[in-house]
Amino acid sequence: MANPGASWLVGASLRCYPAEWRRRHGSEAADLAALLIHDGTPAGSIACSYLVGAARERLVPCPGRRFGAVAYALIAVCLLSISAALLAPTAPARAASTSHAHARAHCRPGAAEPLRGAIVPAGRPEALIPQPGHGRSC
Amino acid sequence: MSRPEGSPGQNVLRRVGEASVLILVSLADGPKHGYALIQDIKELAGVELGPGTLYGALDRLERLGLIESLPAEDRRHPYRITAPGAAALREHLDSLERVSAAGRRRLQLGGI
Repeated sequence: MANPGASWLVGASLRCYPAEWRRRHGSEAADLAALLIHDGTPAGSIACSYLVGAARERLVPCPGRRFGAVAYALIAVCLLSISAALLAPTAPARAASTSHAHARAHCRPGAAEPLRGAIVPAGRPEALIPQPGHGRSC
Repeated sequence: MSRPEGSPGQNVLRRVGEASVLILVSLADGPKHGYALIQDIKELAGVELGPGTLYGALDRLERLGLIESLPAEDRRHPYRITAPGAAALREHLDSLERVSAAGRRRLQLGGI
């Protein structure tokens, strides 16, 4: 990799993988990144791909591999992010619904419709689309 | 080779994702290493696999016993499709062909 910035970026993303993975694929992955950068692929997108791969590598349980502290930390960060995303759009809706509380007493305030496909079977997260209403006519 | 996660039986490729299927298709005509796989898949399917996605899929396929890693050549590990991998790929492609044919028939019937 001629560009030291690109080299550092890719190296940093590769260091996010578990040590076992780096022993097995590390040098080959660095060589592959160098070839892709030489072909014109942006170093940022390569680093991003390796970061996602590292997160998946740490989060997806494999037979015989135990979750480490980093994996638990990543899960905690993801859960907090999802909670924040769910709470943020419902707060104004909850405030607005208080004025109609008597008229719609049977509707639970702030009961947002479940987000469709937040996690798809293939494991790719879809974009979270906040839906403040509950979608049912009351 | 490590012990496979499960027997690569019926429709195993439905669960492994598009990248894994593309890798198996690319390996169907002979062993390839990572860079060659990315180039070949880009050419045959127009899909640019990220290196992180590639290694994740390779590890998964290897654990399933559908591909195997060959001895390293100049720090690069070539991968080869195994007999169960070829069988799973054939079955998956047959299934895709059936769905494709049904889709075309229904489009004709619908006059769309």
